[in-house]
Amino acid sequence: MLLIDQFHFNWRIFKRHRLRTFLMLLAVSIGVAAVVLLTSLGEGARRYVDAEFSSLGSNLVIIFPGRNETTGGHPPIFGTSPRDLTIEDSIALGHLSAVRRVAPIIVGTTNVSVGSLSRDLITVGTTREFLDVRDMSVTIGKTLPDDAREIASAVCVLGSKVKHELFGSRKAVGEWVRIGDRRMRVIGIIEEGGQSIGMDMADIVMVPVQTAVQLFNSPALFRLMLELQTTADVERVKRRVLAIIRERHEGEEDITLVTQDSLLQAFNNILSTLTLAIGAIGAIGLLVAGVLIMNISLISVSQRRQEIGLLKAIGGSSRQIRALFLGESLMMVGMGALAGVAVAIALVFFSRQLWPVFPMTPPSWAIPVAVILAMVTGVLFSWLPASRAARLDPVLALRGQQQ
Amino acid sequence: MRPVDFIRWVLKALWMQKVRTSLTILGFAIGITAMVTLSSLGEGLRQFVLEEFTQFGSHIVAINPGKTETFGMAGILNTTRPLSLQDAIALERVAGVEKMVPLVSGTAQSKVLGRSRYTNVYGVGHDASEAWRMPVAQGNFLPNESLETPRAFAVLGHDLKQELFGNEPALGRYVHVGGARFRVIGVILPKGDFMGADLDDAIYIPANRALQMFNRESLMEVDIFYSPAVATEVIVERIKKMLISRHGFEDFTITTQDEMLKTMDNILRILKYAGAGLGAISLLVGGVGIATILMITVTERTAEVGLLRALGCTRAQVRNMFLGEAITLGLLGGIAGVFVVVLLVITVAHLIPKLPIALSMDIVIAALLVSMLIGLVAGVNPALRATRLSPIDALRAE
Repeated sequence: MLLIDQFHFNWRIFKRHRLRTFLMLLAVSIGVAAVVLLTSLGEGARRYVDAEFSSLGSNLVIIFPGRNETTGGHPPIFGTSPRDLTIEDSIALGHLSAVRRVAPIIVGTTNVSVGSLSRDLITVGTTREFLDVRDMSVTIGKTLPDDAREIASAVCVLGSKVKHELFGSRKAVGEWVRIGDRRMRVIGIIEEGGQSIGMDMADIVMVPVQTAVQLFNSPALFRLMLELQTTADVERVKRRVLAIIRERHEGEEDITLVTQDSLLQAFNNILSTLTLAIGAIGAIGLLVAGVLIMNISLISVSQRRQEIGLLKAIGGSSRQIRALFLGESLMMVGMGALAGVAVAIALVFFSRQLWPVFPMTPPSWAIPVAVILAMVTGVLFSWLPASRAARLDPVLALRGQQQ
Repeated sequence: MRPVDFIRWVLKALWMQKVRTSLTILGFAIGITAMVTLSSLGEGLRQFVLEEFTQFGSHIVAINPGKTETFGMAGILNTTRPLSLQDAIALERVAGVEKMVPLVSGTAQSKVLGRSRYTNVYGVGHDASEAWRMPVAQGNFLPNESLETPRAFAVLGHDLKQELFGNEPALGRYVHVGGARFRVIGVILPKGDFMGADLDDAIYIPANRALQMFNRESLMEVDIFYSPAVATEVIVERIKKMLISRHGFEDFTITTQDEMLKTMDNILRILKYAGAGLGAISLLVGGVGIATILMITVTERTAEVGLLRALGCTRAQVRNMFLGEAITLGLLGGIAGVFVVVLLVITVAHLIPKLPIALSMDIVIAALLVSMLIGLVAGVNPALRATRLSPIDALRAE
């Protein structure tokens, strides 16, 4: 029996039982589509985080003041430590040849007001490098002055949302705003669309770092961001940074270094595991479809008893009969899997049109794995019915009798 | 036809096709198992987190400086509007307040002759031990004295004491924290983690000393534990009034335990239902299975339907019989699935008691209802098919 003959044979059977075939295709395709869609969701989340991090620029090292030796503890997010990380530290670290940019950061909440409008906002005291490191720029006006480290000039740069809330459509650059207990001149507006991890760049006020020192009456930096040269050896730079800090902090290494790579790696690991887990949950649907295939195949074998008898009588071997039935379910599962993949891809495509920020994508392994898994399920669950068909005694089967 | 006959007919019809019935039930049960297990995991997580949060009682409000939503970072950031120690002292006098814990946290190195360790430092007050349910194992907690001029006493977490002193006695010894000298007056019983922070590997010192150590003006948080006899709204109102009279305007954020629990509960509930939703995909496939099998059954039993109709069964009766079969299949699958989940939950609870998994009755009932519903939906088409057969044609079908 040629392969093409078998296809014709199976096809005719499918056509004879249209509804039954359709329902089985439906079951298999739901299972396959679930696996592909769910893993796409996980992969989408991973890519989303990836993109968020890459908006931070590459080769970034974040320094937290303070240190925590508790095993498994998180970095010292409080940012409070007896010995402050200072602007002078940031200047010293900037001298390292492997460091491309340094952005010292002081963060606090203040009341910002214009006339009778007032809002409590996150105020970031930093230098112009802060925007560069985040790969952002100022759309209107100028960025922070060059001497933000040394001189506490009374200027500020507003996030786009803040500008709209305080000034509406009026011109903001050149106007005065009150920040805390000081008056400052607006010199620029940050470009829109900078939603970066942990901070909505549209909803902040940026002031020179030295101004923030006065505003909050504390020289302590909250974080220090180092952007390294692309060719820098990160481990070596980390050792150099620690050495410099030790020298400046009376022999104590009271900072915590977190590289962007390690953060990204951690997120990637978590999300990849999650993707696998929800993919596996989706695959349970395939298992259920497998049970259904077995059930239907058993019924089909008992219904087609006479047909099998005839096939055997005209010389079909047991092996051929088995191949016939296995082929039938493989073909069915194959079609179901194709339909499932098509549906999943269509849904992924639509979701990407609807929510372009969330890049849902099936991971490269998802489609082949889902299809192969479906095929394997098909073969496994139709093995028993197919063997049963192969074992039928031709004489009894032809008569339609039980054995 | 009496109900008993009806049920007997349905069960017999299923019993006649043992393999077919059991495979259908198996498929459906797998779906139910997936759905109930996943939602049980979600429910377990929810209960675990809620317990973590209510372990300190439920009559708590937290006050943070600043009036912005800063992803729970409120107190950590600098602020031009400090919440001072004096504010905290004033709050203690508000009617209805039972305990008040000022909080400043940071990291610092604790040093004892030859040994040192960087850990979290919590600047708190006398009430912290009782309010946070951290009883001391040795000595005493920070004494009940003036918050503004506290003596330099420190209380060690259990792990930190082991790290610094090993098995030697720690009470009465001196420890240098961030350069300042403190006398150890107590060691806390092992307490464990709270929201990712290890409370055992930490040192507790008076709040004002911590403010000096970290060179801050503002507390990060003030926790108020109030009498259950006072309503939450009332206490919030009183605190607001007191702080506004001191600051001139509302430059602080008050978070009540109720609000926090509600937000948290909402998020975790979503997780639970998302788990159930994921499992429901398999259930859908199981539903398709029931529909397929019934479809085949109806075709096979055409003659039987003809006979029933010839004997005087109405169309409605025939339809109900097939629907009954469908619902029974779904229900049996559901019961089997729930049974497996119960076994699973009991096993897990014995083997890995730490893994939070909790069966919630509403999910079990929902699962059983959903399985009956799916059975019903799956059965509609085949059942209608059966009724459409004319008795004569059906009888001839053989």
